[in-house]
Amino acid sequence: MQIAVSGGKGGTGKSTVAINLAIALKEHYDLVLADLDVEAPNDHLLLGVELASEEPVELFMPRFDYGKCTRCRKCAEVCEEHAIITMRDGTPFLMPNLCSGCAACEIVCPVPGAILPGKKLMGHTYLTETPYGFPLVTGRLLEGEERAMPIVSRAKKRAQGLGKELLMVDTAAGTSNTVSKALEDSRLIIAVTEPTPLGIHDGELILKLAKLMNVPAMVVVNRSDLGDVGKVREIAEKYDAEVIAEIPYSENIIRSYVEGKPIVLTDYPEAGLFREIASRVVEFLGGGE
Amino acid sequence: MQIAIASGKGGVGKSTITASLLYLLKDEYRFVAVDADADAPNLDLLLGVERWEEERELIGAKVARINVESCIRCGICQERCPYDCIKVIDGDYVVSELTCEGCNVCGLVCPVPGTITLEEVRSGVVRKTMTRYGFPLISAQLDVGRPNSGKLVTEEKEWAKKLMGELGLEHMIVDSAAGIGCQVIASIGGADLTILVAEPTPASLSDVQRAYKVVQHFRQPAYLIINKADFNPGFTALRGWAEAEGIPILGEIPYDRAIPRSMSMLKPFVEAFPDSKAAEAMREIAERVREEILK
Ligand code: SF4
Ligand code: SF4
Ligand code: SF4
Ligand code: SF4
Repeated sequence: MQIAVSGGKGGTGKSTVAINLAIALKEHYDLVLADLDVEAPNDHLLLGVELASEEPVELFMPRFDYGKCTRCRKCAEVCEEHAIITMRDGTPFLMPNLCSGCAACEIVCPVPGAILPGKKLMGHTYLTETPYGFPLVTGRLLEGEERAMPIVSRAKKRAQGLGKELLMVDTAAGTSNTVSKALEDSRLIIAVTEPTPLGIHDGELILKLAKLMNVPAMVVVNRSDLGDVGKVREIAEKYDAEVIAEIPYSENIIRSYVEGKPIVLTDYPEAGLFREIASRVVEFLGGGE
Repeated sequence: MQIAIASGKGGVGKSTITASLLYLLKDEYRFVAVDADADAPNLDLLLGVERWEEERELIGAKVARINVESCIRCGICQERCPYDCIKVIDGDYVVSELTCEGCNVCGLVCPVPGTITLEEVRSGVVRKTMTRYGFPLISAQLDVGRPNSGKLVTEEKEWAKKLMGELGLEHMIVDSAAGIGCQVIASIGGADLTILVAEPTPASLSDVQRAYKVVQHFRQPAYLIINKADFNPGFTALRGWAEAEGIPILGEIPYDRAIPRSMSMLKPFVEAFPDSKAAEAMREIAERVREEILK
C-alpha cells in the first residue's frame, strides 16, 4: 500500500514532515520512503545520508541511419514534441533537448533500421539505507534535462520493487502531472500547507488534485502560528479533508533541520506532534503492529 | 535587459525577495515582471493583485482518449505507453488524463484504427495586470495535472516582450519556477543574467548548485543573494561555494519575522516593514543591483 506526502508549494516543510513521519511510521510498518521531488530531492540531506547504489535512467533517443533513411518525413510529422526537424530534401535531424524518448518516430518509420535506438541519460535513481530502519529511494533529474516524468516513474518502480508493506512517497511541489504520477495509487495524501494566503492558495490546488484522483486527504498545517488556520480548515472542509495537525513555527525544528537530526527522535515537544500524525495515519490505514 | 531570479527550489524566499526588489526598483526603472512559476504562482499575491485585466487560455496540452466501444482489449497500448499511463478499470482500458504526456504512442500501436484519439486540452491560463505599483505583471496558472511544460513560460515571456515594445519598457524581471525542469530552463534561457537566491542549509545549497548548472549551460553570469543568512552560523559552505565559483554575492538578508508577517499582509516586506533589518539589507542589495547590473 502507498501513501503520499505532498504540498502545494515549495518550502512548506513537506520533506520535514515526510522524513519524520517515515521514522515514526517505521514502528508500525515495514516501509520504504521514496523521494520523488526529482528536480530538488532533499530527503537524504534531512536524513543525513549519502545517496548510494546509483542506477542510470536512460531514455530512447532516435539516431538516424542516413544510408537507409528515405527522407519521407514521417518521423518528423508524428513527433508531438517537434523534436525532429527536416531539411528541404526531407533529411531528419533531432533536437535532443526536445525529445521525450517516447519512440513514436521509431514506430512510424517505414524503413527498418533507418531509426536506431540511441540512448540519452536523463538522471538517476538511488537506493540508500538509512540508520532509521528503512531504505530511501531517490530520483534525481540531471541538470539541464527537462523531463521529470521518466525519473519519477522509474524511481517509483524501484521503490515498489522492494515489496515493502508501505511505500511512502514524497512528491514535488505543485500539481503538475509528475505530481499526479507520484500520487497515483495512494490510499492517502498528507497535504502539508501553511496558513498564509500563499500556502492556502497552493494547498487548495493539491486538495483539488487529490479529489480529482479520488484519493482521501489529510492536512498538516506547518508554521501554524503564521496565519489563520481557520481559513485552512474551511478549504479542507470544502474538499472533505481534515486538518490533523498544527505545527507551530519552531526554532527546534529549524535547529534539528540544520543539524540533520530528525526532530521526531529528539526530546523536543515537537516530536510528539509527528507521533500524533503517525498514529492518525495508522488509524486510517489500519494494519501495522 | 532580461533578469531571471532562481533558487533551484521553492521556500527559500525567492518570491518575497523578488517582490521587494521590484518595489525598490519601480520608481527608477521601467520593467515588466513575469511570474514563471506557473505551477504555484505567488508573485501576484505578494504584490496584492486583486484582479487580472486580461486572461488567455492556453490550449496545447494533449491527452489520449480510448473509445471503449471499439477497443478490443488487446492491451498493446498499455504495454507500449512509455509513461505507464494506461490502466485497466473494470475491464476497460483507460488513459489516466492526469499523467498522460500526449505522445500518441498508444494511438500508433493500437490495432483498431480510430480507437485512440489525441485530444487537445487546456493546459492553463496566462494573464496580465497592472500592479498598484505601476509596473505590469504577467503570470500564469497551470491546470491541475497537466504536463509542467515550459511552453507556458515561453508564452508568458512572449507576452512580456510584446508589452515591453508597446509600453517602451527597458527590462524584464522573471521570477523563475522552482526546480530545474522545463519551466526553469524556459525561465533562465534567454535571460542576460540570473540572480540566485539561497539560504545557508545543505538542502538549499544542493538546490542552488543545480540551478547554477542550468545558468552555466546558458553561459550567463550569476549573482547570489543569501537569505536567512544568520540562521545557521556554522554553515559556511554556501558562501565558500559562491566564492570558489566566482559568483558575486549581492548581499545577505538576516532572518526576520517581518518577512512572513508581510506575506500575510500581501505586501513586499520593504513596504510593510521599512524599518526592519531585512528591509535595510534589501535596500543595500537593490543599490548593488542598480550599480552593478542595471547601471
Ligand atoms: S522519441 Fe518521441 S519525442 Fe523523441 S524524436 Fe521520437 S517521436 Fe519525437
Ligand atoms: S520516418 Fe524513417 S525513413 Fe522517413 S524520414 Fe524519418 S527516419 Fe527517414
Ligand atoms: S499519449 Fe503517450 S503518455 Fe498518453 S497514454 Fe498514450 S502512450 Fe501513454
Ligand atoms: S491497443 Fe487499442 S484495442 Fe488494444 S487495448 Fe489499447 S485501445 Fe484497446
